[in-house]
Amino acid sequence: MNTLTELHLDALTEVFNVGAGRAAASLSEIVGDEVKLSVPSIEIKKSSEADTSVIELNSARFGAVSQQFSGPFEAEAILLFTEDHALEIVRDMMGSQMSIEELAEFEQEAMCELGNIILNACLSAMADMLKISLNSSLPSYKIATTDEIFQGICNSSDQPYVLVLHIDLTIEKRHSEGHLIFLLSSMSLHKLGIQIDRFLGSI
Amino acid sequence: MKSINLEAIISSINMGLIVVDSEENILLWNDWVVKHSEVTSSQALTAKISNVFQDAPSAAFLSALKSVLTYGLPVVLSNALHRSPLALYVPSDKHLEKTRMHLAITMTHLPDANRKSCCLIQISDSSTSIKREKMLRSHSEILKRDATTDSLTGIYNRRFFDEHYKMALGQATRQKLPLSVFMIDIDFFKEYNDYYGHPSGDKTLIKVASALKAQLSRSTDVVARYGGEEFILMLPNMSEEHAISFADKLRLAIWDIAIPHLKSRISQQVSVSIGVSTYDQRSEGAMLSLVDAADAALYKAKQNGRNQVFYAQLSEFKANKEKS
Repeated sequence: MNTLTELHLDALTEVFNVGAGRAAASLSEIVGDEVKLSVPSIEIKKSSEADTSVIELNSARFGAVSQQFSGPFEAEAILLFTEDHALEIVRDMMGSQMSIEELAEFEQEAMCELGNIILNACLSAMADMLKISLNSSLPSYKIATTDEIFQGICNSSDQPYVLVLHIDLTIEKRHSEGHLIFLLSSMSLHKLGIQIDRFLGSI
Repeated sequence: MKSINLEAIISSINMGLIVVDSEENILLWNDWVVKHSEVTSSQALTAKISNVFQDAPSAAFLSALKSVLTYGLPVVLSNALHRSPLALYVPSDKHLEKTRMHLAITMTHLPDANRKSCCLIQISDSSTSIKREKMLRSHSEILKRDATTDSLTGIYNRRFFDEHYKMALGQATRQKLPLSVFMIDIDFFKEYNDYYGHPSGDKTLIKVASALKAQLSRSTDVVARYGGEEFILMLPNMSEEHAISFADKLRLAIWDIAIPHLKSRISQQVSVSIGVSTYDQRSEGAMLSLVDAADAALYKAKQNGRNQVFYAQLSEFKANKEKS
Protein backbone atom coordinates (compact mmCIF):
# COMPACT_ATOMS: atom_id res chain seq x y z
CA MET A 1 0.00 0.00 0.00
CA ASN A 2 1.26 3.38 -0.95
CA THR A 3 1.12 5.66 2.05
CA LEU A 4 1.69 8.86 0.16
CA THR A 5 -0.96 10.41 -2.09
CA GLU A 6 -0.54 12.47 -5.26
CA LEU A 7 -0.93 15.55 -3.10
CA HIS A 8 1.93 14.43 -0.88
CA LEU A 9 4.12 13.83 -3.88
CA ASP A 10 3.34 17.28 -5.31
CA ALA A 11 4.32 18.85 -2.01
CA LEU A 12 7.54 16.82 -1.93
CA THR A 13 8.40 17.75 -5.52
CA GLU A 14 8.05 21.38 -4.52
CA VAL A 15 10.22 20.85 -1.44
CA PHE A 16 12.93 19.13 -3.42
CA ASN A 17 12.91 21.79 -6.11
CA VAL A 18 13.54 24.39 -3.41
CA GLY A 19 16.38 22.18 -2.11
CA ALA A 20 17.81 21.74 -5.59
CA GLY A 21 17.78 25.51 -6.03
CA ARG A 22 19.78 25.95 -2.83
CA ALA A 23 22.23 23.23 -3.77
CA ALA A 24 22.69 24.86 -7.18
CA ALA A 25 23.53 28.17 -5.50
CA SER A 26 26.22 26.54 -3.31
CA LEU A 27 27.63 24.57 -6.21
CA SER A 28 27.76 27.65 -8.44
CA GLU A 29 29.74 29.41 -5.75
CA ILE A 30 32.27 26.56 -5.57
CA VAL A 31 32.54 25.86 -9.29
CA GLY A 32 32.53 29.55 -10.21
CA ASP A 33 30.08 28.86 -13.00
CA GLU A 34 26.31 28.74 -13.11
CA VAL A 35 25.05 25.33 -12.01
CA LYS A 36 21.40 24.46 -12.54
CA LEU A 37 19.61 21.66 -10.71
CA SER A 38 16.04 20.63 -11.24
CA VAL A 39 13.83 17.81 -10.07
CA PRO A 40 11.63 16.80 -12.98
CA SER A 41 10.09 13.75 -11.35
CA ILE A 42 9.59 11.96 -8.07
CA GLU A 43 8.06 8.56 -7.43
CA ILE A 44 7.44 6.07 -4.66
CA LYS A 45 8.28 2.41 -5.13
CA LYS A 46 8.00 -0.62 -2.93
CA SER A 47 11.54 -1.62 -1.94
CA SER A 48 10.85 -5.14 -3.12
CA GLU A 49 9.97 -3.78 -6.55
CA ALA A 50 12.92 -1.43 -6.70
CA ASP A 51 15.23 -2.59 -9.45
CA THR A 52 17.24 -1.22 -12.29
CA SER A 53 14.12 -0.09 -14.14
CA VAL A 54 13.53 2.47 -11.39
CA ILE A 55 16.53 4.48 -12.35
CA GLU A 56 16.10 4.12 -16.10
CA LEU A 57 19.80 4.36 -16.67
CA ASN A 58 22.09 1.81 -18.14
CA SER A 59 25.23 2.87 -16.37
CA ALA A 60 26.87 -0.22 -14.91
CA ARG A 61 28.46 1.52 -11.97
CA PHE A 62 27.70 4.50 -9.84
CA GLY A 63 29.44 6.66 -7.36
CA ALA A 64 27.09 6.67 -4.40
CA VAL A 65 27.07 9.20 -1.58
CA SER A 66 24.84 8.28 1.34
CA GLN A 67 23.75 9.87 4.61
CA GLN A 68 21.54 8.52 7.39
CA PHE A 69 18.98 11.07 8.46
CA SER A 70 17.03 10.92 11.70
CA GLY A 71 14.38 13.03 13.40
CA PRO A 72 10.58 12.81 13.13
CA PHE A 73 11.28 10.17 10.49
CA GLU A 74 14.32 8.08 9.69
CA ALA A 75 15.71 7.91 6.20
CA GLU A 76 18.71 6.78 4.27
CA ALA A 77 19.41 9.10 1.38
CA ILE A 78 21.65 7.91 -1.44
CA LEU A 79 22.72 10.08 -4.28
CA LEU A 80 23.91 8.23 -7.35
CA PHE A 81 26.29 9.83 -9.79
CA THR A 82 26.21 8.00 -13.09
CA GLU A 83 29.59 7.13 -14.45
CA ASP A 84 29.44 8.95 -17.76
CA HIS A 85 27.70 12.19 -16.87
CA ALA A 86 28.07 13.44 -13.35
CA LEU A 87 31.66 12.24 -13.10
CA GLU A 88 32.53 14.53 -15.96
CA ILE A 89 31.50 17.40 -13.79
CA VAL A 90 33.85 16.46 -10.99
CA ARG A 91 36.62 15.80 -13.47
CA ASP A 92 35.89 19.12 -15.05
CA MET A 93 36.22 20.86 -11.74
CA MET A 94 39.36 18.93 -10.90
CA GLY A 95 40.85 18.87 -14.36
CA SER A 96 41.70 15.18 -14.24
CA GLN A 97 41.13 12.28 -16.59
CA MET A 98 40.36 9.24 -14.54
CA SER A 99 37.80 6.49 -14.66
CA ILE A 100 35.49 5.78 -11.77
CA GLU A 101 37.63 2.93 -10.40
CA GLU A 102 40.69 5.10 -10.44
CA LEU A 103 39.01 8.00 -8.72
CA ALA A 104 41.64 8.89 -6.23
CA GLU A 105 41.19 10.03 -2.68
CA PHE A 106 40.81 13.65 -3.77
CA GLU A 107 38.10 13.11 -6.29
CA GLN A 108 36.33 10.80 -3.87
CA GLU A 109 36.40 13.53 -1.29
CA ALA A 110 35.06 15.97 -3.85
CA MET A 111 32.27 13.56 -4.81
CA CYS A 112 31.43 13.23 -1.14
CA GLU A 113 31.21 16.98 -0.81
CA LEU A 114 29.10 17.32 -3.94
CA GLY A 115 26.70 14.68 -2.66
CA ASN A 116 26.69 16.24 0.79
CA ILE A 117 25.71 19.63 -0.65
CA ILE A 118 22.80 18.22 -2.63
CA LEU A 119 21.54 15.87 0.09
CA ASN A 120 21.76 18.53 2.80
CA ALA A 121 20.04 21.10 0.60
CA CYS A 122 17.14 18.75 -0.17
CA LEU A 123 16.72 17.61 3.41
CA SER A 124 17.08 21.07 4.90
CA ALA A 125 14.46 22.38 2.47
CA MET A 126 12.23 19.61 3.74
CA ALA A 127 13.01 20.51 7.35
CA ASP A 128 12.22 24.16 6.64
CA MET A 129 8.93 23.53 4.94
CA LEU A 130 7.73 20.90 7.38
CA LYS A 131 9.12 22.88 10.34
CA ILE A 132 10.96 19.88 11.71
CA SER A 133 14.62 19.37 12.55
CA LEU A 134 16.76 16.54 11.26
CA ASN A 135 20.09 15.05 12.25
CA SER A 136 22.43 13.30 9.91
CA SER A 137 25.50 11.12 9.81
CA LEU A 138 28.54 12.28 7.86
CA PRO A 139 28.36 11.44 4.18
CA SER A 140 30.09 8.30 2.99
CA TYR A 141 31.15 7.47 -0.54
CA LYS A 142 31.36 4.16 -2.32
CA ILE A 143 31.41 2.74 -5.80
CA ALA A 144 28.63 0.28 -6.46
CA THR A 145 26.83 -1.44 -9.28
CA THR A 146 23.09 -0.93 -9.72
CA ASP A 147 22.46 -4.44 -8.47
CA GLU A 148 24.45 -3.91 -5.31
CA ILE A 149 22.56 -0.72 -4.55
CA PHE A 150 19.16 -2.30 -5.06
CA GLN A 151 20.06 -5.46 -3.24
CA GLY A 152 20.81 -3.32 -0.21
CA ILE A 153 17.44 -1.64 -0.51
CA CYS A 154 15.42 -4.80 -1.20
CA ASN A 155 16.99 -6.62 1.73
CA SER A 156 16.08 -3.99 4.28
CA SER A 157 12.70 -5.21 5.48
CA ASP A 158 12.45 -2.28 7.86
CA GLN A 159 12.45 0.12 4.91
CA PRO A 160 9.58 -1.08 2.75
CA TYR A 161 9.38 1.97 0.49
CA VAL A 162 11.80 3.93 -1.55
CA LEU A 163 11.39 7.46 -2.79
CA VAL A 164 13.12 8.05 -6.12
CA LEU A 165 13.98 11.53 -7.32
CA HIS A 166 15.46 12.28 -10.69
CA ILE A 167 17.64 15.36 -10.66
CA ASP A 168 19.07 17.07 -13.72
CA LEU A 169 22.29 18.97 -13.30
CA THR A 170 23.73 21.41 -15.81
CA ILE A 171 26.83 23.55 -15.70
CA GLU A 172 26.12 26.45 -18.04
CA LYS A 173 29.41 27.44 -19.59
CA ARG A 174 30.91 23.97 -19.83
CA HIS A 175 27.78 22.47 -21.33
CA SER A 176 28.17 19.51 -19.05
CA GLU A 177 25.02 17.78 -17.97
CA GLY A 178 24.52 15.22 -15.29
CA HIS A 179 21.75 13.07 -14.05
CA LEU A 180 21.54 12.29 -10.39
CA ILE A 181 19.25 9.93 -8.61
CA PHE A 182 18.22 10.47 -5.06
CA LEU A 183 16.93 7.41 -3.25
CA LEU A 184 15.24 8.00 0.04
CA SER A 185 14.30 4.75 1.63
CA SER A 186 12.28 5.23 4.70
CA MET A 187 10.75 2.84 7.15
CA SER A 188 8.72 5.76 8.30
CA LEU A 189 7.22 6.96 5.07
CA HIS A 190 3.99 6.95 6.99
CA LYS A 191 5.50 9.40 9.47
CA LEU A 192 6.69 11.52 6.56
CA GLY A 193 3.10 11.47 5.25
CA ILE A 194 1.87 12.75 8.62
CA GLN A 195 4.40 15.57 8.54
CA ILE A 196 3.31 16.54 5.03
CA ASP A 197 -0.34 16.44 6.06
CA ARG A 198 0.48 18.74 8.93
CA PHE A 199 2.19 21.09 6.48
CA LEU A 200 -0.65 20.91 3.95
CA GLY A 201 -3.17 21.55 6.71
CA SER A 202 -1.31 24.64 7.81
CA ILE A 203 -1.40 26.42 4.47
CA MET B 1 36.86 7.35 30.24
CA LYS B 2 36.90 8.38 33.91
CA SER B 3 40.63 8.68 34.31
CA ILE B 4 41.28 10.26 30.92
CA ASN B 5 42.01 13.93 30.70
CA LEU B 6 39.97 15.06 27.69
CA GLU B 7 41.60 18.47 27.64
CA ALA B 8 45.02 16.90 27.30
CA ILE B 9 43.75 14.85 24.37
CA ILE B 10 42.30 17.91 22.67
CA SER B 11 45.55 19.81 23.03
CA SER B 12 47.80 16.99 21.85
CA ILE B 13 45.69 15.62 19.00
CA ASN B 14 47.34 15.99 15.60
CA MET B 15 44.51 17.83 13.92
CA GLY B 16 42.74 21.14 14.29
CA LEU B 17 39.68 21.38 16.51
CA ILE B 18 37.60 24.55 16.70
CA VAL B 19 34.18 24.97 18.29
CA VAL B 20 32.04 28.01 17.57
CA ASP B 21 28.62 28.95 18.90
CA SER B 22 25.61 30.16 16.91
CA GLU B 23 26.98 33.73 16.92
CA GLU B 24 30.25 32.38 15.53
CA ASN B 25 32.12 33.14 18.77
CA ILE B 26 35.04 30.79 19.27
CA LEU B 27 34.63 28.40 22.23
CA LEU B 28 37.52 26.02 21.54
CA TRP B 29 40.83 26.59 19.75
CA ASN B 30 43.21 23.67 20.24
CA ASP B 31 47.03 23.72 20.24
CA TRP B 32 47.24 22.41 16.68
CA VAL B 33 45.27 25.45 15.47
CA VAL B 34 47.43 27.76 17.59
CA LYS B 35 50.55 26.34 16.02
CA HIS B 36 49.37 26.66 12.42
CA SER B 37 47.39 29.91 12.63
CA GLU B 38 49.85 31.83 14.85
CA VAL B 39 46.82 33.02 16.83
CA THR B 40 46.97 32.23 20.55
CA SER B 41 43.98 30.69 22.22
CA SER B 42 43.48 33.73 24.48
CA GLN B 43 43.25 35.89 21.34
CA ALA B 44 40.95 33.42 19.64
CA LEU B 45 38.57 32.88 22.54
CA THR B 46 37.52 36.52 22.47
CA ALA B 47 37.08 36.63 18.70
CA LYS B 48 34.63 35.53 16.04
CA ILE B 49 35.66 32.92 13.48
CA SER B 50 35.14 35.35 10.59
CA ASN B 51 37.87 37.76 11.76
CA VAL B 52 40.25 35.72 13.93
CA PHE B 53 42.60 34.69 11.12
CA GLN B 54 45.26 36.80 9.39
CA ASP B 55 43.17 36.47 6.23
CA ALA B 56 39.42 35.96 6.30
CA PRO B 57 38.05 32.42 5.79
CA SER B 58 36.71 31.67 2.30
CA ALA B 59 33.10 32.52 1.49
CA ALA B 60 32.33 28.83 0.98
CA PHE B 61 33.63 28.03 4.47
CA LEU B 62 31.50 30.74 6.08
CA SER B 63 28.34 29.73 4.27
CA ALA B 64 28.92 26.06 5.12
CA LEU B 65 29.35 27.02 8.78
CA LYS B 66 26.15 29.03 8.70
CA SER B 67 24.32 26.09 7.22
CA VAL B 68 25.57 23.74 9.97
CA LEU B 69 24.48 26.20 12.65
CA THR B 70 21.07 26.69 11.04
CA TYR B 71 20.13 23.14 10.08
CA GLY B 72 22.34 20.97 12.23
CA LEU B 73 23.37 18.87 9.22
CA PRO B 74 27.04 17.92 8.82
CA VAL B 75 29.14 19.43 6.05
CA VAL B 76 32.42 18.33 4.46
CA LEU B 77 34.77 20.66 2.60
CA SER B 78 37.06 18.62 0.38
CA ASN B 79 40.58 19.65 -0.35
CA ALA B 80 39.98 19.14 -4.05
CA LEU B 81 37.37 21.88 -4.26
CA HIS B 82 38.61 24.27 -1.59
CA ARG B 83 42.39 23.89 -1.25
CA SER B 84 43.01 26.19 1.68
CA PRO B 85 39.82 27.81 3.00
CA LEU B 86 41.41 28.90 6.31
CA ALA B 87 44.58 30.91 6.87
CA LEU B 88 46.59 28.05 8.36
CA TYR B 89 50.23 27.63 7.42
CA VAL B 90 52.70 24.82 6.86
CA PRO B 91 55.41 24.91 9.54
CA SER B 92 58.60 26.33 8.03
CA ASP B 93 61.75 28.22 8.92
CA LYS B 94 61.03 31.71 10.16
CA HIS B 95 62.83 33.47 7.32
CA LEU B 96 61.01 31.57 4.61
CA GLU B 97 57.77 32.81 3.12
CA LYS B 98 54.78 31.15 4.72
CA THR B 99 52.75 28.73 2.62
CA ARG B 100 49.07 28.05 3.14
CA MET B 101 48.25 24.51 4.24
CA HIS B 102 46.03 22.30 2.09
CA LEU B 103 43.08 21.29 4.23
CA ALA B 104 40.18 18.90 4.47
CA ILE B 105 37.45 20.07 6.82
CA THR B 106 34.49 18.38 8.49
CA MET B 107 31.88 20.42 10.33
CA THR B 108 29.33 18.82 12.60
CA HIS B 109 26.60 20.12 14.82
CA LEU B 110 27.24 19.77 18.55
CA PRO B 111 24.36 19.56 20.95
CA ASP B 112 24.95 22.13 23.66
CA ALA B 113 23.83 22.07 27.30
CA ASN B 114 22.29 25.53 26.97
CA ARG B 115 20.31 24.30 23.96
CA LYS B 116 22.28 26.70 21.83
CA SER B 117 23.60 25.55 18.49
CA CYS B 118 27.33 24.87 18.28
CA CYS B 119 29.58 23.67 15.49
CA LEU B 120 32.64 21.45 15.80
CA ILE B 121 35.16 22.12 13.04
CA GLN B 122 37.68 19.33 12.44
CA ILE B 123 40.62 20.29 10.30
CA SER B 124 43.18 17.94 8.81
CA ASP B 125 46.32 18.58 6.83
CA SER B 126 46.09 17.14 3.31
CA SER B 127 49.71 17.78 2.24
CA THR B 128 50.92 14.23 2.91
CA SER B 129 48.12 12.64 0.96
CA ILE B 130 48.64 15.13 -1.87
CA LYS B 131 52.30 14.14 -2.02
CA ARG B 132 51.40 10.46 -1.99
CA GLU B 133 48.79 11.02 -4.66
CA LYS B 134 51.21 12.86 -6.92
CA MET B 135 53.76 10.09 -6.52
CA LEU B 136 51.22 7.38 -7.33
CA ARG B 137 50.02 9.31 -10.35
CA SER B 138 53.47 9.80 -11.76
CA HIS B 139 54.20 6.11 -11.18
CA SER B 140 51.02 5.14 -12.96
CA GLU B 141 51.90 7.41 -15.89
CA ILE B 142 55.32 5.78 -16.17
CA LEU B 143 53.72 2.32 -16.06
CA LYS B 144 51.18 3.29 -18.70
CA ARG B 145 53.96 4.56 -20.94
CA ASP B 146 56.05 1.44 -20.38
CA ALA B 147 53.13 -0.82 -21.18
CA THR B 148 52.74 0.71 -24.64
CA THR B 149 56.40 1.19 -25.55
CA ASP B 150 58.82 -1.23 -27.17
CA SER B 151 61.72 -1.27 -24.73
CA LEU B 152 64.45 -1.78 -27.35
CA THR B 153 63.50 0.82 -29.96
CA GLY B 154 61.46 3.25 -27.86
CA ILE B 155 58.64 3.36 -30.42
CA TYR B 156 55.16 2.02 -29.65
CA ASN B 157 54.63 -1.71 -29.24
CA ARG B 158 52.07 -4.02 -30.79
CA ARG B 159 49.68 -3.65 -27.87
CA PHE B 160 49.48 0.10 -28.45
CA PHE B 161 49.05 -0.37 -32.18
CA ASP B 162 46.23 -2.88 -31.79
CA GLU B 163 44.32 -0.57 -29.46
CA HIS B 164 44.76 2.52 -31.57
CA TYR B 165 44.16 0.75 -34.85
CA LYS B 166 40.57 -0.04 -33.81
CA MET B 167 39.97 3.57 -32.85
CA ALA B 168 41.54 4.88 -36.06
CA LEU B 169 39.36 2.57 -38.17
CA GLY B 170 36.27 3.76 -36.35
CA GLN B 171 37.25 7.35 -36.94
CA ALA B 172 38.02 6.73 -40.63
CA THR B 173 34.59 5.20 -41.22
CA ARG B 174 32.78 7.91 -39.29
CA GLN B 175 34.61 10.79 -40.93
CA LYS B 176 34.63 9.07 -44.35
CA LEU B 177 38.40 9.48 -44.62
CA PRO B 178 40.98 7.00 -45.94
CA LEU B 179 43.41 5.11 -43.68
CA SER B 180 46.68 3.57 -44.88
CA VAL B 181 48.59 0.76 -43.21
CA PHE B 182 52.22 -0.17 -43.96
CA MET B 183 53.91 -3.44 -42.99
CA ILE B 184 57.68 -3.23 -43.08
CA ASP B 185 60.18 -6.07 -42.82
CA ILE B 186 64.00 -5.85 -42.77
CA ASP B 187 65.37 -7.98 -45.61
CA PHE B 188 67.49 -11.01 -44.60
CA PHE B 189 67.57 -9.91 -40.97
CA LYS B 190 68.15 -13.47 -39.73
CA GLU B 191 71.30 -13.62 -41.83
CA TYR B 192 72.31 -10.20 -40.47
CA ASN B 193 71.95 -11.40 -36.88
CA ASP B 194 73.83 -14.65 -37.60
CA TYR B 195 76.73 -12.81 -39.19
CA TYR B 196 77.01 -9.59 -37.13
CA GLY B 197 75.63 -10.90 -33.82
CA HIS B 198 72.57 -9.87 -31.81
CA PRO B 199 73.99 -6.67 -30.28
CA SER B 200 74.53 -5.31 -33.82
CA GLY B 201 71.11 -6.58 -34.81
CA ASP B 202 69.59 -4.61 -31.94
CA LYS B 203 71.44 -1.47 -33.01
CA THR B 204 70.10 -1.87 -36.53
CA LEU B 205 66.54 -2.28 -35.25
CA ILE B 206 66.93 0.95 -33.29
CA LYS B 207 68.29 2.80 -36.35
CA VAL B 208 65.49 1.53 -38.58
CA ALA B 209 62.85 2.41 -35.98
CA SER B 210 64.10 5.96 -35.58
CA ALA B 211 64.46 6.45 -39.36
CA LEU B 212 60.84 5.36 -39.80
CA LYS B 213 59.69 7.58 -36.97
CA ALA B 214 61.51 10.56 -38.50
CA GLN B 215 59.31 10.25 -41.59
CA LEU B 216 56.12 10.88 -39.63
CA SER B 217 54.90 14.41 -39.16
CA ARG B 218 51.33 14.31 -37.81
CA SER B 219 50.44 13.46 -34.22
CA THR B 220 47.87 10.91 -35.41
CA ASP B 221 50.49 8.89 -37.33
CA VAL B 222 51.64 5.77 -35.51
CA VAL B 223 54.73 3.61 -35.98
CA ALA B 224 55.08 0.48 -33.86
CA ARG B 225 57.33 -2.54 -33.63
CA TYR B 226 55.02 -5.36 -34.69
CA GLY B 227 57.27 -8.37 -34.32
CA GLY B 228 60.99 -9.24 -34.33
CA GLU B 229 62.16 -7.27 -37.38
CA GLU B 230 58.69 -6.21 -38.44
CA PHE B 231 57.31 -2.71 -38.13
CA ILE B 232 53.83 -1.37 -38.78
CA LEU B 233 52.68 2.15 -39.62
CA MET B 234 49.20 3.57 -39.58
CA LEU B 235 48.49 6.92 -41.25
CA PRO B 236 44.98 8.29 -41.02
CA ASN B 237 43.68 10.43 -43.87
CA MET B 238 46.26 9.19 -46.39
CA SER B 239 44.91 8.13 -49.79
CA GLU B 240 46.12 5.23 -51.95
CA GLU B 241 48.22 7.43 -54.29
CA HIS B 242 49.97 9.16 -51.40
CA ALA B 243 50.44 5.86 -49.58
CA ILE B 244 52.36 4.33 -52.48
CA SER B 245 54.76 7.26 -52.83
CA PHE B 246 55.10 7.55 -49.04
CA ALA B 247 56.00 3.85 -48.82
CA ASP B 248 58.78 4.40 -51.28
CA LYS B 249 59.99 7.34 -49.24
CA LEU B 250 60.13 5.03 -46.22
CA ARG B 251 62.03 2.40 -48.18
CA LEU B 252 64.59 5.00 -49.35
CA ALA B 253 64.94 6.44 -45.84
CA ILE B 254 66.16 3.04 -44.63
CA TRP B 255 68.32 2.51 -47.71
CA ASP B 256 69.95 5.91 -47.21
CA ILE B 257 71.20 5.02 -43.71
CA ALA B 258 73.47 2.63 -45.62
CA ILE B 259 74.00 0.07 -42.86
CA PRO B 260 76.40 -2.56 -44.29
CA HIS B 261 74.84 -6.02 -44.72
CA LEU B 262 77.28 -8.38 -46.43
CA LYS B 263 74.98 -11.37 -46.02
CA SER B 264 72.04 -9.75 -47.84
CA ARG B 265 71.37 -11.69 -51.00
CA ILE B 266 70.23 -8.64 -52.93
CA SER B 267 72.74 -5.92 -52.03
CA GLN B 268 75.56 -4.96 -49.67
CA GLN B 269 73.40 -2.96 -47.24
CA VAL B 270 70.27 -3.14 -45.11
CA SER B 271 67.04 -2.76 -47.08
CA VAL B 272 63.35 -3.20 -46.31
CA SER B 273 60.31 -4.66 -48.05
CA ILE B 274 57.02 -2.84 -47.59
CA GLY B 275 53.41 -3.96 -48.00
CA VAL B 276 50.75 -1.25 -48.19
CA SER B 277 46.99 -1.17 -48.22
CA THR B 278 44.47 1.63 -47.90
CA TYR B 279 40.96 1.65 -46.53
CA ASP B 280 38.58 4.15 -48.11
CA GLN B 281 34.91 4.58 -48.98
CA ARG B 282 35.12 2.20 -51.91
CA SER B 283 36.43 -0.66 -49.81
CA GLU B 284 33.44 -0.70 -47.50
CA GLY B 285 32.96 -3.71 -45.28
CA ALA B 286 36.53 -4.83 -45.83
CA MET B 287 38.08 -2.73 -43.13
CA LEU B 288 38.83 -5.51 -40.67
CA SER B 289 41.19 -7.14 -43.16
CA LEU B 290 43.28 -4.00 -43.73
CA VAL B 291 46.23 -5.27 -41.68
CA ASP B 292 45.92 -8.69 -43.36
CA ALA B 293 45.96 -7.01 -46.77
CA ALA B 294 49.11 -5.05 -45.88
CA ASP B 295 50.66 -8.30 -44.64
CA ALA B 296 49.79 -10.08 -47.89
CA ALA B 297 51.26 -7.15 -49.83
CA LEU B 298 54.47 -7.45 -47.81
CA TYR B 299 54.66 -11.13 -48.76
CA LYS B 300 54.29 -10.13 -52.42
CA ALA B 301 57.02 -7.49 -52.10
CA LYS B 302 59.36 -10.16 -50.74
CA GLN B 303 58.40 -12.65 -53.45
CA ASN B 304 59.07 -10.02 -56.09
CA GLY B 305 62.68 -9.66 -54.95
CA ARG B 306 62.64 -7.52 -51.76
CA ASN B 307 63.82 -3.89 -51.26
CA GLN B 308 60.55 -2.73 -52.78
CA VAL B 309 56.96 -1.66 -52.15
CA PHE B 310 53.87 -3.63 -53.04
CA TYR B 311 50.36 -2.20 -52.87
CA ALA B 312 47.40 -4.53 -52.27
CA GLN B 313 43.94 -3.27 -53.16
CA LEU B 314 41.79 -3.96 -50.12
CA SER B 315 38.71 -5.02 -52.11
CA GLU B 316 40.72 -7.38 -54.34
CA PHE B 317 42.48 -8.85 -51.37
CA LYS B 318 39.15 -9.57 -49.80
CA ALA B 319 37.75 -11.12 -52.99
CA ASN B 320 40.81 -13.37 -53.35
CA LYS B 321 40.60 -14.41 -49.78
CA GLU B 322 36.95 -15.37 -50.12
CA LYS B 323 37.72 -17.39 -53.27
CA SER B 324 40.42 -19.46 -51.63
